[in-house]
Order: sequence, then C-alpha cells, then structure tokens
Amino acid sequence: MKQTAEEIADGIRAGNIRSISRAITLVEDNNSLITGREIIKSIYKSTGNAGIIGITGPPGVGKSTIIGNLSSMIRASGKKVAVIAIDASSPFTNGSFLGNRIRMQDKLYRDGIYMRSLSSRGSSGGLSRSTWDAVRILDAAGYERIIVETVGAGQADLDILGMAHTIAVALAPGLGDEIQAIKAGLMEIASIFIINKMDRDGAFMAMKDIEDSLALTPQNEWKIPVVGLNSITLEGYEELMAAIENHLSYVRKSALNAKKRFFHEVKAALMAESELRINALTEKSMSGLTDLESDVRNKVDPYTVAEEISKSVLGDIA
Amino acid sequence: MAAGKNLSLFRDKPVKVLLAKPGIDGHDRGMFVLAKAFRDAGMDVLYAGLLPTPEEVVDTAINEDVDVIALSLLNGAHLVVFKKVADLMKKRGIDDIAIVGGGTIPDADRPKLEKLGITGNYGPGTPLKTIIDHIMMRAEEARSRKLGIA
Repeated sequence: MKQTAEEIADGIRAGNIRSISRAITLVEDNNSLITGREIIKSIYKSTGNAGIIGITGPPGVGKSTIIGNLSSMIRASGKKVAVIAIDASSPFTNGSFLGNRIRMQDKLYRDGIYMRSLSSRGSSGGLSRSTWDAVRILDAAGYERIIVETVGAGQADLDILGMAHTIAVALAPGLGDEIQAIKAGLMEIASIFIINKMDRDGAFMAMKDIEDSLALTPQNEWKIPVVGLNSITLEGYEELMAAIENHLSYVRKSALNAKKRFFHEVKAALMAESELRINALTEKSMSGLTDLESDVRNKVDPYTVAEEISKSVLGDIA
Repeated sequence: MAAGKNLSLFRDKPVKVLLAKPGIDGHDRGMFVLAKAFRDAGMDVLYAGLLPTPEEVVDTAINEDVDVIALSLLNGAHLVVFKKVADLMKKRGIDDIAIVGGGTIPDADRPKLEKLGITGNYGPGTPLKTIIDHIMMRAEEARSRKLGIA
C-alpha cells in the first residue's frame, strides 16, 4: 500500500502503529531517502516531548532483560513507552541476528509496548545511522519514554551520548576491578550505573569499585547513582525507575542541554548529508569545485585539494 | 530480471525476515539452522522465540515491518495455525509482508497453503539454498510494495 510522506506523518502523529513501523523502514533505507526525510521534516515540530533513555554496556550483562522489565514497569506507571534495540550486523555478509527481542518478548505483547530492532549496518558507534530518525518518529507518535539499547558496547561506543537524555551504563560482576572503572570512554558517559546480576558472587564488590571511582571524580550537581539489580526477583528496579525519572527532570530543566542536543542533531544530519553528497560526486561535478587538470599537472596532494574544497563549502572552521 | 536477483533493492537495508513457530511446538533446532543460514545470506533475522501465539507473530511482524514471515511447524497443525496468521494479516489489511511456510507438511496440504498465500512449504532435507532463494523472491515482492515501486 503506497502512502505519501504526508499521510504517513499524519499516521505517526495519530499514533498509528503501521505508520510508525513503515516510517522507520523508510528512514532506514536509502532507496526511500527522500520520502524518509520528508516525513521527518513534517513531524519534527511534534518531537521533543519524550524522555530518551540510553542503555549501554558490554555484551551479555543483561541489557535486553533489564529493558524488558523496565519498560513493563514504566508502562504500568501509566506512561507510553517504546524500545529501539540495535544489534550488530556482520561485516562480511551484512546480515544480522536481531536477538534482543526474545529477551523481552512476553512483556511487549502483554503490555502493548512498541519495539523495533535495528541492525547497526556497519556503523561503529553503537547505534545505526537511522536511530536518530527512529527516535524522532516515536517521539512524535506520543511515546513518553523511549528506551534505546545500543549494540553490546565497547569502551569507545559513545554515539548514544548526543542522543539520549539519560544514559544508564549496565555492568555485571566479574567484568574488572577499579582499574577498569577509572578508564575513560564508556565509564565517563553514564548518568546512572547499573550493576545487574546482584545474586552473583562479587556483585557488592563491583558496586563498591564503581562507587569508589566515582568518589574520586569531581561531580556536578547530578550525583551519579549506582543501582544494583536482580533481574529475576526484580529487586532494585524501583530504585532504577526513580533514578531515571530524577535524571530526566534534572536534564530537561536546562535550556542549555536542549541547545547541546540540537547541536548533536545538526552534526549528525550534516554528516549524513555530506556523506551522501560526497558519494554522489563524479569527476565532472568535482571539476566544478577544483581544477582537477591543473591539480594533476602541478601534483597537488589530495589533502590540500580536499581542504580547499571543504573550506569553500563549510568555511574556515577548525 | 530473474526473481530474487534484484540485489540493489536490498543494498542499504537487507531482507528482514521473522522466523516463527506459532502454536505448541518446541522443536526449534531447525529454526537455529535457518536463522544462521539466513544471517549468512545477508539477511536481518528475527526469531519469535518458543510458543508465540499467531497474534504475537503478526504483532511482531508489523512492529518490525519485516519483509517475510517464515513459519514452521512440525506438529501437524499448519492448516489451522498458518491459516490463522494469514487471516490476521488479511484482517489488518497487510499486503506487503509475505508469508512462507515449512516443516512436516504433507504434499496434499501444499496447494491448500498456497491458496492462502503461504508459499514454499518445504520439508525436511530441502537444500538451504532453495529456501533462501525462495525467501529472496518473496522479499522482493514485499519490499517493492513497501517502497511503492511495484
């Protein structure tokens, strides 16, 4: 069934699941890039109401299980909630096994929670190219809390930083001592630390390691909490919910944060846009930007040419 | 162009397929074999887990906007359960998600399933390539409809 961008945008604003699903498909696919962008432009004014919660952390600590429980509790508190989960795609075949859903399956259907799995499509920051757009679509559709699960993240998968209001870094006992906890990267972006699997040996030590290293870090107004979870008995989840809600209201109070987020949004859009344009360049169109013939004749190096071109487009920024 | 060979259609966004065993059937070894084979064939693969209801399968397929639902049953209930899935899809007016089947399906039942729009219906011993080619073909129809180019 072919629908126009405007029809789909209307459907999104009305909270129609099929319009939401279709829109996410369209923004994921470069074949429908134009329609996808038209949809985003049309709904953008309706965005900005959702609290966006990023859950990140190494593979196997229980991110999907935590999200299953958490989303169900948020729903029970009366808020509309949606989940976006990103799984890694194969660098060899581009295929993927989107396994996050299985861990939360039973709750999703029972509680009417919208969930969408995306594959990372070779994007390396823990999110996929279209995650921003998927978040915007769900935001405009009236979901009050959007939980984004990153790919099982390494120490440097920090894309989530610009997108989420609140970032919970999930860890489990046995991942490392306080030396790990003071490393840079993933450990620095947390607004909340979660230690899952509190029934395991060493869980309290793991909590203490994180707390100790936080005590050494100068903190701003927001005191980063460390929440211990037992995902079988659901112990600790009330505390996690409270921490998330506290942090969301802390972040959204400040207009400064809104501007910072918008900066990240434009930066991401700009990157997508320039990638697109660079890919579309031909010998002929590049000749309009620089004199290729004289460059070749004078053996100008490619960096100098690229710097000149980008300066002429973006101005002289460092 | 040969069916299922329009690879540029899936260049940015691979075929997305939902594997599901709706109904009472816990034998999912074959599902894992297929999941791995589909992944290695470059598809985005979802598995609905054990014992989903037909309603859950349809719900998942719509939320995820998959191209193909691949149903399997080894318990003989395919005429009832596969039909239920196809009926639910029809009721919700969905014509851009294809349904294929497989499992222990007697030859006599295959035309009945085909009539419901459930194609393939391969049994044990079918080469993986046959199944993958069939899914690619159905996915191409589905995706073209989604993008409004069919």
